[in-house]
Amino acid sequence: MRNKSLNTLKLSSVALAVSFFAASRTTVLAQGQNAWRVPYVYEIAQGEWQGPRLADGQPDVRGHWSNTIGNHNNITDPQGRFPLDPPSANEKPRDTRAPSRLVLPADGEFPLQPWARAKQQEFMSNLYSATRPEYVEPLARCAPGGPTKSFLWHGYEIRQYPNYVLFLFDSGTRLIHLDKTGEAAPLDEDIKLWNGDSRGWWEGNTLHVQVRNHNGKARFGRTGEFVSEHALITERFIFDNDGERYRYEADYVDDTVLTEPIRFAIPSRRITEDTPQDGWNNITFAVNYPGGVTRGIEAYERTCVENNGSHGDVSIY
Amino acid sequence: MSKKFRFSGAGVLVAGLLFSASVYAQENPRTSEGRPDFSGIWQAHSGPEFDLEPHGYRKDAPPGKGIVEGGRIPYQEWALEERNRRFEQRSTEDPRLHCFTLGTPRAIYYPEPFQIFQDNDALTLLFQFSHRARTIHTNGSVHPEGGIGFWFGDSRAQWKGDVLEVSVTDFNDQTWLDRAGNFHSESLQVIERWELIDSNTIRYHATLEDSQVYTQPWSLSVLLHRHREPGFQIIENTCYTLGFDEYYPVPK
Repeated sequence: MRNKSLNTLKLSSVALAVSFFAASRTTVLAQGQNAWRVPYVYEIAQGEWQGPRLADGQPDVRGHWSNTIGNHNNITDPQGRFPLDPPSANEKPRDTRAPSRLVLPADGEFPLQPWARAKQQEFMSNLYSATRPEYVEPLARCAPGGPTKSFLWHGYEIRQYPNYVLFLFDSGTRLIHLDKTGEAAPLDEDIKLWNGDSRGWWEGNTLHVQVRNHNGKARFGRTGEFVSEHALITERFIFDNDGERYRYEADYVDDTVLTEPIRFAIPSRRITEDTPQDGWNNITFAVNYPGGVTRGIEAYERTCVENNGSHGDVSIY
Repeated sequence: MSKKFRFSGAGVLVAGLLFSASVYAQENPRTSEGRPDFSGIWQAHSGPEFDLEPHGYRKDAPPGKGIVEGGRIPYQEWALEERNRRFEQRSTEDPRLHCFTLGTPRAIYYPEPFQIFQDNDALTLLFQFSHRARTIHTNGSVHPEGGIGFWFGDSRAQWKGDVLEVSVTDFNDQTWLDRAGNFHSESLQVIERWELIDSNTIRYHATLEDSQVYTQPWSLSVLLHRHREPGFQIIENTCYTLGFDEYYPVPK
């Protein structure tokens, strides 16, 4: 009774991840992806919000979004090849590709301590021949992407409600509590979560978030960089007043893994019904209304591990 | 082309009569459009997850009176045999054991909380188990063209006074209805009725129809209770990572 259309019609997050894994050696991009991706990270100043607001006063930034640079293939050269892949004939010069996902340190390199660098190199070197469980990139198992990597992957959706901002990713869900009263007590530090527990507040056009209780397991990309559960994470979602772009920044401080603090910067654009479907940034469908009218877009159901076969589906009980 | 859900059965008529008179006081929380506001964290206190039908105590389940109207699910003969087979294999074949999306209606009465977020276009249900989200669209949209095979089904709703009536369709056949092997096919269609009977209690009623599995439509209902403990929150339960999270970010 298995629905035969499931594997053909449904754009599975895992199918896309696996297919991109297979294609990474040649770094081929669909035409839609080329049109969406840009080689720069725009600056957006923090300041007043002049756009529409919700009834509770939040800036209205609801909708579908996606990062404009690429994926999690290579954190320090996000539009470049995976380091173990041979260069392609049409590989563009480094200075024409997007900069590192890190804006701090200034050289864009991931400042791992020697022991952590050795581990990162080990993970990267063994990505294509995962003879040990830890060599499988966790996102390939459909594990949640973690606070930052979730914004490097497929398109996602932002929903807002009084006291909450909700992010819906193909790789999990993340709820930002807008704690004004402090009534909601933070979780005990022994509770460790892939996406952490997030508390935030708005200042003008910027959503500030502090992330606690994260487990540090997500890793940042196929190149294997990581931090630990001890990392202090603060985020800023800085929205342009045109309502079409925002810049995500995340600061990580972790003196058990890093030699100095780091800062990520990830640009994102709004996806609308006019955005070309590309199977990566925009995985949505037009919405039906009575009378044959179509209007707006919706994402497909966000399930991953259910369709991942033995790659990540491990019985838990 | 819109996808209409039609089914017959006395259960539908009875349900309609039961829900025709609103019991939700006007002064209780409502949205800006005057609709009952379901926002909050909810959980069923009864034990239908263990077995929807009446059952005695078992090694893996407490006793329960069941929540199926009429007592038993009206299976076709082959389907009853299949249900019984699944019951015997429940300790290995239940998709819950993989932390998979529970589906509809099982996620509603599963013994973990879920949070409802509501605006004028939709209700978003965030389930603690597997940390999955289900959207019930209230914006007047209709079902997409079929054949996608959702784990939760596709949900489109309309207000009938203070009752939210939800048509759920386009399921896959991968979910169970409980831990006792009760199941459905991809032909399942569900009509849900959500009603706040007071500001802290939801009466949830679902009628299930599946021409491949059941001889006729049948219904169940549970009460959902609001969590009012100070500081209570949904906590990410991504249990599907338990089989491998020890290896990340660095094996211990």
